[in-house]
Amino acid sequence: MTTMRGPSKQSENGWQRALRSLLYGHNVDRNVKAQARLWLAILVFTGIFFVIALRLVMFATVSEGHGDRRSITQDAVATARPDIVDRNGEILAIDVKTPSLFAEPRKIIDVDEAIELLTAVLPDLDANEVRERLSSKRGFVWLKREITPSQQLEIHRLGIPGVGFLTENKRVYPNGPVVSHEIGHVNIDNQGIAGIEKWLDGQGLAALHMAGLATDPLQRPVKLAVDLRVQYALRYELINAREKYKAKASAGLITDVNTGEIIAIVSVPDFDPNNPREANDPNHLNRLTTGVYEMGSTFKALTLAMALDSGRVSLSSSFDARLPLRYGKFEIHDFHAQKRVLSVPEIFTYSSNIGTARMALALGVDYHKAFLKKLGQLDRLRTELPESAEPLVPKHWGELNTVTIAFGHGLSVAPLQAVMGISALVNGGTMIPPTFLKRDQAEAEKLAKRVIKPETSEKMRYLMRLNVEKGTATRADVPGYFVGGKTGTSDKVVGGRYSKTKVLTSFTAILPADKPRYLLLIMIDEPQGLPETHGFSTSGWNAVPVGAQVIERVAPLLDMPPRFDLPRADQMLLVSAKDTR
Amino acid sequence: MRLLNILVLGALILAASFVYKIKFDSTLQAERVAKLRGELRRERDAIAILRAEWARLDTPGRVQRLADRHLALQKIKSTQFDKLDQLPERPPAIRPTPGNDPVGALLSPVPDTTGSALSAARR
Repeated sequence: MTTMRGPSKQSENGWQRALRSLLYGHNVDRNVKAQARLWLAILVFTGIFFVIALRLVMFATVSEGHGDRRSITQDAVATARPDIVDRNGEILAIDVKTPSLFAEPRKIIDVDEAIELLTAVLPDLDANEVRERLSSKRGFVWLKREITPSQQLEIHRLGIPGVGFLTENKRVYPNGPVVSHEIGHVNIDNQGIAGIEKWLDGQGLAALHMAGLATDPLQRPVKLAVDLRVQYALRYELINAREKYKAKASAGLITDVNTGEIIAIVSVPDFDPNNPREANDPNHLNRLTTGVYEMGSTFKALTLAMALDSGRVSLSSSFDARLPLRYGKFEIHDFHAQKRVLSVPEIFTYSSNIGTARMALALGVDYHKAFLKKLGQLDRLRTELPESAEPLVPKHWGELNTVTIAFGHGLSVAPLQAVMGISALVNGGTMIPPTFLKRDQAEAEKLAKRVIKPETSEKMRYLMRLNVEKGTATRADVPGYFVGGKTGTSDKVVGGRYSKTKVLTSFTAILPADKPRYLLLIMIDEPQGLPETHGFSTSGWNAVPVGAQVIERVAPLLDMPPRFDLPRADQMLLVSAKDTR
Repeated sequence: MRLLNILVLGALILAASFVYKIKFDSTLQAERVAKLRGELRRERDAIAILRAEWARLDTPGRVQRLADRHLALQKIKSTQFDKLDQLPERPPAIRPTPGNDPVGALLSPVPDTTGSALSAARR
């Protein structure tokens, strides 16, 4: 170096001379020209050596990072997802590393031999497809995703050139179909395509994947509101119910009325998220969020709450239910016809269509519409789940619509939506949007919107309890839990007409009725009459007993001690009036 | 001048060997880091597999199947629960007062000074 630097300094002078000599050519002294050329060569070589030295330094410093980068790309292929856990930390979905087999067709020497060897180890590999892939001129092809470690070892031992393994994340759902609809599932590239998994991707996870940054240590588990044990118990009872009543489908939901958390959501038939192909069957859709139904008498709770909240109807008001209500060419009948003037509690417990229809008519179409709008029954309900359904609202809402909607026909809503509305009626009168994620009381209060007066809510609790004591839901009176509830049986529309035989039954229960914490909805689609139900297929004979079984099983899990010092429904209002004073 | 050259040469060799040693050590360290990182990843993967396995074994469906097969338990009824404060008081522990123990006196006519009767009674 030192020897080089000396001459290069002099070259300041020599450089100009060299330039001149190169420019002027022939008439320059031969010696001077040679010297100038020598200087030029020295300069060029010095430059080249300098560049080489610099590059060497770069290699020395960067080579360590080089190995790291390779491992990052490997992780990027195996797109990681956060674990999903239930409210108690039980695992619902987890990533497990599995090897995947790939090939680099350009490096494969003998395609036939490779296929022969590979199909020997992996019998389910389609030889023709593999041949096609290996014969292509692409740099990289997948041969088989998610092989077992023993298969990996065997293939490794075969020593086929141009065949390799990449570690990938495979999503595993240890509980199988138990929480299927809520969690959804992922595709082979570990991207969410339904349920909470899809929601997660929408929360920026997809962008992380694109940047190749979604590695395991970065991700915290996602905590859902669902309680695995409750979910399992509910699903078990619903599967039994579906078999017992030979129903097309059954569905159930448990929600915390004070926070809007969904503790359990089941729609049977369901699918196993470990086998996503089952999910595409339209019969396996989640009836509670993606289906819309005419909720039948369950809607009467909304009508009564509206009437009581308006202040124009009180619990001691009465309505004429002696004759069927005629409207144009339509005639509204009662299923449990009493043929007399009924008081408001009686309308609720006998589930009188005529009474509720008259009540809604008394308040007018606009009032009815505004009230249902306020309770979120007329707009699409959005939750974390990407799947949702728009309610079917009549385009021209006349008096006849108000009459039928008052008792739950003519307006189809997603059952989850109805649950949200009824929760608001019993939790003290505030509407809280439902959520699948864990939420605490304070957060819920921030989101809560007052829709009815607290006094009206008290009256609704009383009516629901009364209905279990001596109404249509007596079979739900599980001792000790003070259940309140409303039944619903709606005729299904078959070919544009209401069917006489096909019904959708539902049961909405609150517990405990004096200060509700949980709301349970049971829905059975097309239950059949059985000898032990005397051939009846109305809600009181199927949805209600199922609800009772669920409550008995689930209440201890929900930390609800049974109480046996409970007031009768008649005393509830007195007690609560005293409390508020 | 020559001495200076030799000194500089010696310093160069020293510096070079020192740099080489540092480089060698750092390579060793880097290899260790990479190895540990790999081990960590493997361990994490193994933990994930074990957790998945545990969750699968712990799933309520499996537990119920096993309980149905091996246990003669029945579903609990709401009437079978009771509150903790409803429990009767624990009966007072029977502690023979030393000196005033007629049974003990019958058993051992000789006055017991070791306290073995007392500990036996407690047991």
